[in-house]
Amino acid sequence: MSIQGNDVKKIIVACDAGMGSSVMLASQLRRQLAKQDVTVAHTPVNSIPADADVVVCHQGLADRARKSAPGKTIIPVQVFIGDPAVNRLIAAVKGGGAIDG
Amino acid sequence: MADPAVLRRHAIRLHETAPDRDSAIRICGEVLADVGAVSPAYTAAMLERERSISTYVGEGVAIPHGTLASKEDVHGDAIAVVRFPDGVDWDGQPVRVCVPIAARGDGHVALLSALAAILLDPEAARALRDAEDPDDVIRLLEPVGKETTT
Repeated sequence: MSIQGNDVKKIIVACDAGMGSSVMLASQLRRQLAKQDVTVAHTPVNSIPADADVVVCHQGLADRARKSAPGKTIIPVQVFIGDPAVNRLIAAVKGGGAIDG
Repeated sequence: MADPAVLRRHAIRLHETAPDRDSAIRICGEVLADVGAVSPAYTAAMLERERSISTYVGEGVAIPHGTLASKEDVHGDAIAVVRFPDGVDWDGQPVRVCVPIAARGDGHVALLSALAAILLDPEAARALRDAEDPDDVIRLLEPVGKETTT
């Protein structure tokens, strides 16, 4: 699935329990996208809300995220701080361009 | 100020040693249990989570925590800071600081946000790895900026 950066209104950071790395990454995204009209939230991977435009999760959870949120753009990350995939997402939301995932 | 209910002073242990990752996680579980944040059963969930996906987050820091199912073993939102000055081999990564987490709600979010900012700042990350005084840890983890939690 692909989505244009300008169309992203809600980003979900998903992890298994929603209490650890997803919380840290969500806070980081929220800070870096503070000037954009984008909501960032963190949830457990099995309760991704229907209005999510993009789902960011650890690559080990990507298959569960695809099952839990079919048809969404899923961005798997390997490291939660400074991952290139996250930097590309931020750049696309700020400046436009396609996000593939 | 860092929320004193979420990061209690006696949950900051700066001179621990562990021969391996699982031993370090057991110490983390004991510290969270000591401050009343979790039942002892939570440690098993932390170990299970670590075996499926590492909680290493970079800069010599890991944030062990349980699984979704283990939330029933959590009594309240809390974090601890457990430092291993000699380092612990964390699946090939050298970990010097563990920030174990127990959460039912969002009480820990501001502190984790501060931790994320530390990890992006090499000087602050080094200060956390080298911290010898609990006051330094508390000062480093003072939440930065205001967050909206959703």
